[in-house]
Amino acid sequence: MDRYQFEDLISDYIENNLSMSQRKQVEAYLEETPEAKQQIESVKQVMASMKSMPGISTSAEFMNNLNRHISAEKEAKSVVKSTYSFAGYTPLMASLSAVVVIAVVMLGLEFMPESSNQATFTPTMTEQQINDLPALPANPNDSMLAESDEDSTNYDEDTPVKRNFDNKIQRVGNKRP
Amino acid sequence: MADEFSYTDEELIARFQDGDEQAYVELVNRYRNRLMTFVYRFVNDMEKAEDIVQDTLMKLYTHRHYYRNIAKFSTWIYTIAGNFAKTELRRKKRHKVTNLSQMGFDDREYQLPSVEPETGETAQGHFAEKKIQMAIQELPLHFRTVVILRDIQELSYEEISKIVDVPLGTVKSRINRARLQLQQSLKEFR
Repeated sequence: MDRYQFEDLISDYIENNLSMSQRKQVEAYLEETPEAKQQIESVKQVMASMKSMPGISTSAEFMNNLNRHISAEKEAKSVVKSTYSFAGYTPLMASLSAVVVIAVVMLGLEFMPESSNQATFTPTMTEQQINDLPALPANPNDSMLAESDEDSTNYDEDTPVKRNFDNKIQRVGNKRP
Repeated sequence: MADEFSYTDEELIARFQDGDEQAYVELVNRYRNRLMTFVYRFVNDMEKAEDIVQDTLMKLYTHRHYYRNIAKFSTWIYTIAGNFAKTELRRKKRHKVTNLSQMGFDDREYQLPSVEPETGETAQGHFAEKKIQMAIQELPLHFRTVVILRDIQELSYEEISKIVDVPLGTVKSRINRARLQLQQSLKEFR
């Protein structure tokens, strides 16, 4: 073991954090190097001195100052809240809400069925006004139109012979001939 | 009242997160002097140390919901205090570079308040303490933090590793190097 290896292990040696073999190596080095022993004692003394240094206390005004800072912080927070909010919304929240509403409306329009997206007819005249309108002049083709009113499913063929079934029909209570 | 003291730090911060301000007061009472010792040993200036502890405890108040119960409360609060202290030292260093001729209030030597008349022994104790404090200030920041947390605050290596966010082996190595450097500096004082 050389000096540098020994120095790397000083703290672990003092705090008992070395393995058995490492500890033996250090002790062997200490046996043959008196300055090393002195160095160990010296480091131990430094550690003990640091441990025994008195604790430092805050001043008598410390708590008052801290309370003052906390009160100022609370006040500043409440001012910010009241200044930068409208109906409970901060500007950021209000902006985000507006964006969300616009996005929902846009999406709604996008997905709306086309038929229901068309304008509807709204009559501009009342029923009474419609009834009061002058009658239209007679159309010369009305007679033709009347003819054409006949059922278009009429057969062009000869009218089928109407057969009289009256004699053959027997009603309840009729006597057979 | 006795029940109040049986709460762990983690239970207290949970209560504070739920709106119990009394739990905050209890945490402040538990930590203000511990943090003061840590920060003072780090920055070597009483006034600045007190400001940093104030800032740390204010941050605890305003950022209470940032604490997650995955680490010890002490780890979290020491991390905040350590970061404030490092920022202050960097700021002070920049200030010193630009104003070398202006030796102000920050540069005064700290004097422990004398509670009782100093006997020869206590005077010697204060002298030794001053020497150690001076030797600590000569350490690089990454050595200074870990050795204060270990040898003055008596935290575990594992907790220190979490506070400074470096591996356990690195923490052990830094503490060992810091002790050797302190031993060298104090040897020169004797």
